[in-house]
Amino acid sequence: MLFELDGRSPVIVQGITGRMGQKHATLMQRYGTHIVGGTGRVRSGEAHAFPVYADCGEAVRATGAVASIALVPPQNTLEAVREAAAAGLRVVVTVAEGVPVHDALHIRAIARAAGLIWVGASTPGLCIPGEIKLGFLPDVSLAPGAVGVMSKSGTLSYEVGRRLVARGLGQSAWIGVGGDPVKGVRFADLAAGFAAHAATRAVLLIGEIGGDEEEEFADVWGRLGAPKPAYALIAGAQAKEGVTMGHAGALVLGERGSLGSKQKSLRRAGVQVFDTLETLADAIARVPI
Amino acid sequence: MLLLEADGKVLFREAGIATPRGMRFRDAPGGAVLPGVGPWIAKAQVPVGGRGKAGGVRPVATAAELPTILQALLGLRIKGCDTREVLVEEMSGGPEHYLALMVDAAAGGVRLIYSPHGGMDVESQAAHGERGFSEVLPLDAEALEAAAGRMADRVAGTQRAGLLDLCRRLIALFLSRQLMLAEINPLFAQPDGRFVAGDAKVVIDMNTLAAQPVLRGILSDGRALYPDAWRKLSQDFDFVEIDPAGQVGLVTTGAGLSMMLIDELVAQGLTPNNFCDMRTGQMRGSPARLLQIFDWLAAARDVRVVLVNIFAGITDLSEFAQLLVDALRERPGFRLPLVVRLVGNGEAVARDIIVAHPDLGIAFEPDLERAIALTAERLRTVSRKEALDAV
Repeated sequence: MLFELDGRSPVIVQGITGRMGQKHATLMQRYGTHIVGGTGRVRSGEAHAFPVYADCGEAVRATGAVASIALVPPQNTLEAVREAAAAGLRVVVTVAEGVPVHDALHIRAIARAAGLIWVGASTPGLCIPGEIKLGFLPDVSLAPGAVGVMSKSGTLSYEVGRRLVARGLGQSAWIGVGGDPVKGVRFADLAAGFAAHAATRAVLLIGEIGGDEEEEFADVWGRLGAPKPAYALIAGAQAKEGVTMGHAGALVLGERGSLGSKQKSLRRAGVQVFDTLETLADAIARVPI
Repeated sequence: MLLLEADGKVLFREAGIATPRGMRFRDAPGGAVLPGVGPWIAKAQVPVGGRGKAGGVRPVATAAELPTILQALLGLRIKGCDTREVLVEEMSGGPEHYLALMVDAAAGGVRLIYSPHGGMDVESQAAHGERGFSEVLPLDAEALEAAAGRMADRVAGTQRAGLLDLCRRLIALFLSRQLMLAEINPLFAQPDGRFVAGDAKVVIDMNTLAAQPVLRGILSDGRALYPDAWRKLSQDFDFVEIDPAGQVGLVTTGAGLSMMLIDELVAQGLTPNNFCDMRTGQMRGSPARLLQIFDWLAAARDVRVVLVNIFAGITDLSEFAQLLVDALRERPGFRLPLVVRLVGNGEAVARDIIVAHPDLGIAFEPDLERAIALTAERLRTVSRKEALDAV
């Protein structure tokens, strides 16, 4: 479903009347996203640029929306996904950083039971360049192209994206899976999708220490027979053990989550692993795709 | 974040889980009287695995040995962490078991693991034997309790009741404190069927602290033991000391990019002092975060150069540049050479603002690789000047 999203997909914004919601609904629309409205509290006398509905159910009935982006605080994220699931939406992106892990477990269970694809939390969102953006990936880093990007980190992926664009490359799809340990879509969940996605000719994984998502992806990618050229950049070689490094998921405990384990698994699955931005960007640019 | 063993055990005892009697030391023992008659075991309190292999665990045969052992352990650096506290406990014994509850992110549930074979190498054991237990459960008290019953059925009659009671207490603790990991290894089986937690590995979720006064209290009381977590709790952004002797102070935003920058600096032979994710989006027109970071960097012994790196997707760099100038004006005593790499939204105006304040000695450079090279160059200049001054 994620790879089928395009500029015609009707999208709602949960929290569209808030400061973030108003700003990003307009920016996403300007990018080309088909924003059909949103949910949020309207104070009397307030005018809004988009239709505002009482809840997701009403919004979906009125607009036929298939996807939602929740621009709500972390403590409201569980409720937002519950509402999105009940309304029958197919995709929900939650950007908030700071969702408690136990909440995330509940969110994951609710989304799975409803057949709802949850992207997040703690993510700048996703984009099919030239078609649709759900979130706030910066335009300077985006261009239509053939590299399928998935990333735990926002800023690091912006930096990489900008370097790809500077080298005349672009992205077929860009999915920020987010920096939390328990999340909706994980790297491994995207392996088969990127393998089958005709517009994607090479895959780029931007990971970091903590958890075992990179290892999981390597397992699945290896089993798929490493179907496309794949590249990875893993941040956190110097991370301190036992302390979360900004992202809640970036925590090394003994061998768990360590850089070495990730590099080894990815290389075994045929992924080229890099440790600097420039060597990565140069390597991707060197091979015609 | 991983709690120190001694604090994990505070939570265990609060939940009714037995631990050996012990005392915590942050300096010489003075006239302290250890519980019981000995022998004891002294353990460096550091949030890293493998401290035993690193010399951080020492037996204490008699009370007379204590001062020497404390002296050896306090200040001991293990995997980059200074030992600021030592836990001295009565030596426990008995068969070593293993019990843990953890968030299993890949499976999307809570994993309950029990093994009758605990000890040092449990993580590398491929299987836990036929009496071992490992199941992923939904985050739900009833499901976890039911699993605890199935688990306890694996053990001998004399231990069944004790293990079930312990597991129920661990479940209650895990749920009420919204933990990510609660692991007991070794878990000592006593002849009377009860169990004693020999160690405690408890990982808390920093995103729950607003709702967890007990955990906030642990971090607040132990702010000297948890400087990184305390900074995050009190300031609401991340600043982690990476190398106390590091010469490059970092003012950066974004967790992934900040980690990557540290890796790139180290690869080029530079020594970053800190990780920093200041979250520029939350500054809301106030230089408070910058002032706080300047104060930390000013207090860091060896920081000689400051590198600022912001990739602005949404943040308006002109606003950030103005805040940077304001913060420097507010701290006239903080005049380390600054290399400022700003790229993205509002970059051109940001450059104009910085260039308009030449007296602040800021080098503006939108390219990251050139900014790193400039940082190395500034460092060499400062070092040369210091060497000349010393002569």
